[in-house]
Amino acid sequence: MSKISAVLIDLSGTLHIEELAIPGAQAALELLRQHVQVKFVTNTTKESQNLLHQRLKSCGFQIEKHEIFTSLSAARDLILKNQYRPYFILDDKAMEDFEGISTEDPNAVVIGLAPEKFNDGIMTEAFRLIKEKNASLIAIHKGRYYQKKDGLHLGPGAYVAGLEYATGVEAKVVGKPEKLFFESALKTLGENIDFSNAVMIGDDVNDDALGAIKVGMRAILVKTGKFRSGDELKVKNVANSFVDAVDMIIENKVEND
Amino acid sequence: MSNGRAVNGFLLDITGVLYNSIYKSDGVAIAKSAEAVDFLYQHSKVKFLSNAKGNSNRNVARRLQRLGINVREEDVITPAPVVAQYCRENKLRPHLFVRDDVLEYFDGIDTSSPNCVVMGEVEEGFSFDRINRAFRILIDMPKPLLITMGNGKFFQRVDGPCIDVGAFAAALKFSTNCEVLNIGKPSRFYFEQGMNALGMKPEEIVMVGDDLMSDVGGAQACGMRGIQVRTGKWRPDFEKMPVTPDLTADCLYDAVKLIADNGFRL
Repeated sequence: MSKISAVLIDLSGTLHIEELAIPGAQAALELLRQHVQVKFVTNTTKESQNLLHQRLKSCGFQIEKHEIFTSLSAARDLILKNQYRPYFILDDKAMEDFEGISTEDPNAVVIGLAPEKFNDGIMTEAFRLIKEKNASLIAIHKGRYYQKKDGLHLGPGAYVAGLEYATGVEAKVVGKPEKLFFESALKTLGENIDFSNAVMIGDDVNDDALGAIKVGMRAILVKTGKFRSGDELKVKNVANSFVDAVDMIIENKVEND
Repeated sequence: MSNGRAVNGFLLDITGVLYNSIYKSDGVAIAKSAEAVDFLYQHSKVKFLSNAKGNSNRNVARRLQRLGINVREEDVITPAPVVAQYCRENKLRPHLFVRDDVLEYFDGIDTSSPNCVVMGEVEEGFSFDRINRAFRILIDMPKPLLITMGNGKFFQRVDGPCIDVGAFAAALKFSTNCEVLNIGKPSRFYFEQGMNALGMKPEEIVMVGDDLMSDVGGAQACGMRGIQVRTGKWRPDFEKMPVTPDLTADCLYDAVKLIADNGFRL
């Protein structure tokens, strides 16, 4: 098997759970860095790079802010590449990842999780931009719903589906498990990375493992975080935790799916 | 167009055909729609089949009367009373996500431990909290059912097109995988309300509307003839869409005049 050169690492559920690091993960990460390039990747629609960085540091990880690549970073890349001037439907906390981007005379609608903005007026504004000014529709991700302490809440996927229905325009989704997300994350490590020599480590069998495999990467599913019994049957490489996943990479035991 | 088939009755859409809506006001009458309505009351039979979900039939009629269009309340068909009747007949206990003005139709219907959600709210009464409440009720149902008053993509206000209830139904369907039952145009069940009100077979009736897919296409699918007017939400690109109206006219008055001049045949 050819040697691994780049590794994408999921955050929540893989390196840490809430404010606690997975035991031994900090040292394992340092070891891994001696062998390969790494990038930290996550789906988020409202946590900025800064906030994620602070959390990882407080868990004891030695990580630079620029090493974190999120669905918001992917959206930013897409915006810059296409010279979009977005109409943002995003939580205010996420906006610091979009500093310096012009929003005048919008030619794109960018949707993340922003419940307080899911109202008739804002949806109509987005609808008019797409329908009458041919603005593009970009979704940070298309989650159906999520759990909060007080119960379930509609996810951004609902607003996106509503706009897709009303306008007949399909959204471009930028988060995991979209091909573009993995491509953009790997590209930050170098222009000529061979995808078959890159590995994704994560706890979500669909968004992390299968998503990466689909673009020609290899994947290691870790049995922490949101891992559910039965997930291990869907992929070849399974590790008890991030620590074991690092060993598999160093020992060159990561198979192609 | 000398002969054609007899036209014995008219179903007219209201918004975009009789008048154009303006946010928080009565709106503005479309030129000569009042004359067209008077003419039809005198020389033919007419009912008004609307997807309007914000007001009771009484208030819909009153608004039109204030605009000088003499529509009788008893000739107005809107989804809310039809949905309420459907709930009664099918023993449904709805969670009501509707305008206050149509709540009267649901008087006496049990709304405790809901087994469906009825949705007819857009514009100022819409909020995240209200749609999230509907979402939570749906996702807890063994077989989630969402009844919508129409499934329109947008409606036309004078200030521009506005997102309509169909988009919010699509949002709830995406997140809960609910069944969506549309009681409004273009559903056959709803067009049957219009046919029954006229007491006619579909082939005797023409439907006049500004929405190509919902009014014209929906009517045609039920065996009526569909007439497109170039008012309201009409767009030039309708001509590229997969529905061909039996007649396209600049406005309601022109459509009525053309049919009348042809001896009420089309």
